[in-house]
Amino acid sequence: MKMLQQVPRNALAWIIISMFTLLAPHAGRIPVWIMLIYLFAALWRIQVYRGHWSFPGRWVKLVMIVSGFAGIYLSFGSLIGLEPTVALLLTAFALKLIELVSRKDAYVLIFLGYFVCITEFLFTQDLLMVLYSLLNVIIVTTALVALHQPGEHRFNRKTMRLAGVMVLQAMPLMLVLFFLFPRIGPLWTVPVKSHTAKTGMSDFMKPGDISKLSQSADVAFRVQFEGEIPVKSQLYWRGLVFSKLEEGAWSNLGYFDVPAKERRQQEVVTKGEPLNYSIIMEPTQQNWLFGLRYATPDRPGILAAPDFRLYSLVMIEDEFQYQVRSWPQAQLETELSDWRREVELRLPDNDNQRTRQFASTLRAQAGSDEAFVDAVLQHFNREPFVYTLQPPLLPDVDGMDVFMFDSRRGFCEHYAYAFTVMMRAAGIPARVVAGYQGGEINPVNKTVIVHQFDAHAWAEVWLPEEGWVRVDPTASVAPQRIEMGLEEAVAAEGTFLSDSPLSPLRYRSIRWINQLRLRYDALTYQWQSWVVGFDGQVQFQLLRDVFGEISAGRFAAALIGTWALVLLPVAISLLRRREIRPQRPLDREYLKVCERLANLGYPRQAGESAADYAARISRECPDWAESFNRLTGLYTELAYQTPVSAASEQQFHQALRQFRPRKGRER
Amino acid sequence: MLTEAQGGEGLRQRLRSRFRAWVNRRIPPARVVTLDQRRIFIFPSRAGFFFGLCLLLMLTTAINYQNNMSYALTFLLATLFIIAILHTYANLSGLTIRALRAQSAFPGQQAEFDIQVSRRKRRAHFALYLQWPDSTEALINLVDEDQVEVRLHAPVGRRGWYNPGRLLLESTYPLGLLRCWSWIDLDLCALVYPQPLVSAELPGLASDRPDGAAIPIAGSDDFYGFRDYRRGDSLRQVHWKGLAKGQGLQSKQYAAYADRSVWLDWDMFPGHSVEQRLSHLCYWALEFERLNEEYGLRIPDVQIQPGSGEKHRNEVLKTLALYGLPERQL
Repeated sequence: MKMLQQVPRNALAWIIISMFTLLAPHAGRIPVWIMLIYLFAALWRIQVYRGHWSFPGRWVKLVMIVSGFAGIYLSFGSLIGLEPTVALLLTAFALKLIELVSRKDAYVLIFLGYFVCITEFLFTQDLLMVLYSLLNVIIVTTALVALHQPGEHRFNRKTMRLAGVMVLQAMPLMLVLFFLFPRIGPLWTVPVKSHTAKTGMSDFMKPGDISKLSQSADVAFRVQFEGEIPVKSQLYWRGLVFSKLEEGAWSNLGYFDVPAKERRQQEVVTKGEPLNYSIIMEPTQQNWLFGLRYATPDRPGILAAPDFRLYSLVMIEDEFQYQVRSWPQAQLETELSDWRREVELRLPDNDNQRTRQFASTLRAQAGSDEAFVDAVLQHFNREPFVYTLQPPLLPDVDGMDVFMFDSRRGFCEHYAYAFTVMMRAAGIPARVVAGYQGGEINPVNKTVIVHQFDAHAWAEVWLPEEGWVRVDPTASVAPQRIEMGLEEAVAAEGTFLSDSPLSPLRYRSIRWINQLRLRYDALTYQWQSWVVGFDGQVQFQLLRDVFGEISAGRFAAALIGTWALVLLPVAISLLRRREIRPQRPLDREYLKVCERLANLGYPRQAGESAADYAARISRECPDWAESFNRLTGLYTELAYQTPVSAASEQQFHQALRQFRPRKGRER
Repeated sequence: MLTEAQGGEGLRQRLRSRFRAWVNRRIPPARVVTLDQRRIFIFPSRAGFFFGLCLLLMLTTAINYQNNMSYALTFLLATLFIIAILHTYANLSGLTIRALRAQSAFPGQQAEFDIQVSRRKRRAHFALYLQWPDSTEALINLVDEDQVEVRLHAPVGRRGWYNPGRLLLESTYPLGLLRCWSWIDLDLCALVYPQPLVSAELPGLASDRPDGAAIPIAGSDDFYGFRDYRRGDSLRQVHWKGLAKGQGLQSKQYAAYADRSVWLDWDMFPGHSVEQRLSHLCYWALEFERLNEEYGLRIPDVQIQPGSGEKHRNEVLKTLALYGLPERQL
């Protein structure tokens, strides 16, 4: 079967195209040299095709494979993990192209291409990426089709049509299968994304960290409330609680920092109306989740930590959807344990002495804890403190002293830091809370879009009878930050998203761009809640709604029924094609006569010429001989005569009318 | 062990012959065959099974990463396979294969078989692979033209009708994941002539003249040599002068005799087996044809009047080829 093993040029072209379209979305997460290998491989294969170079020998291949492995090991530091695995796959894909000789190699390459397609989804399931991958599937399928079109010696765009049609036809079947196929848990543990950077809020905060995060226009999460959306100034999305201050940096208490009996969240007496909402988070590669206070999770796998934050047992590697119920008015931890009080009061020795001194003085003047809190906020408000996205760098030691008395320029974390230090110095349990504040309300679908630039830090103080109370010192310095958002707060400075000039958020003033952005965001939310949210549970619910009772019989019936609905029209359209009819009316007339004779039992044999047929008919049925011979003669004359004379045409039609073969007249 | 192996062999043989009988019933021999659902078989190809393995791998990826889009892509490819069944089938369906002609050949040569593949419906057919079990292969497309003629060559064996067997028409277009094929008996046989067997001279040359003499026409035919006298040589041929010189009894040989008609006779080769006789006769028929002489054939039950030319030659050779063989079943 040597003939079948050839790879047509068209197929080669499509394979090379698919290689690059498959590579493109991975470009950000693989080293540059892999892309160079792609160019090199394509060049080599094209040169082989043109006869300038030859296929690599066995040793060259071996060297390339080994150096590919070595390169990936050097670039990633290991071969384990999702990124190195994908990089290996991509490199193998490129190298396989160089030794693409026969159809068998092409199959390997094309199926590998489908697999590369799937690896992209492990990183993102973004709507645009899914559409792009669909295009990729069509391109790879086109290569597969082109592989089976021998003799296509030049690049043919039209090959894509059939592939596209087939993929579209497969689409409805796929949807049925998607909804019906039972979802089961992972079979074994798989390499995780080890080299994707953690994004968003970190569990370690130094002054300057949040202002850095606020440069990003990426979406952190989207929220859909069941009822009314609370006012923006109430949207404090708690993510991390920093109780530990060491060497000028805040961090949250680790699992083992907390004694066993303190690890459970204290009972909370709920009060007032709860808020119900669902959140879809973008992947962060971290474990903490966000919620309004006092947030209770809806499902196992999400823990409620003793400091009232939500914590996911698995790292958030993909978009993650969860439901939350919050009681904003609930009092948190009205009884403070000794251990907790001690932790929330602890300050590093000999650090920020001036600030602590200042706090003690202020506390003594204030008279009560509440008055002291107010006094500190007053201080921030009255003194010339500046809220800025570009705070000066502070020293690790005595940083707050520099901030409070010298620079007086800071972002939210500076104010929260200074405030908490002062509270603790005055003997009031206090801590820094980090998360996001506010969000953009999308009028299209009423979701709240929380961006990275909404990142915020504030403080919580513990007051007797009241428990933990939120205090946001930033509100005293820049109230518009809380009420309007960061953009307005730093408008005078002009630093909003100054590092991302292309972000559509910067062009919110242009109406249609903003409309487009919001519409796309609504679509993204819809997509995410559908794609991300569709798991075994949702599937079960959906199927029960559709089928009533779930049984194997109904499953099979649904599958077969819907598939038949799609496959039958496809089969009919494929098999019932238009017949090829002779174009000339002359041939049509003649063939009609032949058909009539065939019905009488004298069919024209395959390959029999008109003259031979006439001769045979004359022999077999002498009655018709004369008229049929005349007719045939005129037909052949007209068929091969140019130009056609009107006279013979008339004669032919006359002969047609005269020729009336009937059964009775035989012999 | 031996009996077991033989038993297995026997079983396989039986199965094979059962299958052949089934195919014969299902696709009876015909000069023109139009492919429809009775004649088309479809099954995943080797690449298709490989594809299935890849799909399993993709499915485990989707399950292990709990990734809905990976599920979707896996299912899309799986259903693409289902859709491909229809497309692959449609690539063969409706094609008409017509036996055109088979060229006669001598044993050990390649016979030419011409067949025509045509379509009735306006659809492009790609990568139609045609081959008889022992023949050369052909790969054709029906894209712009409605019919294509294909010539295949197959080595032929013994004299008589050579049936190349069932023609394999196969295609994996468009995706290569499924193999769609048909075994067609086109009822197309090539005539295999006897193997020409050289014999040094024609013993007892039978002429249509009663006296058995051949008359050379002076001037037009060339004398080309001598050979030892044999019984039956005409006395006119004897090289008397040579005999006088003591060279022994020799006959003169002439290149051609214009008007002479020769009978190639079964009885010229006494003592030879049937096949040998046929082979010798075949050789001489070709030889006379080459020399442009007229010759007739006289074998048991058949007599062909002397003549020459391609048509005559073919008739003679055909008679020789089919001698003693049962009538071809049509």
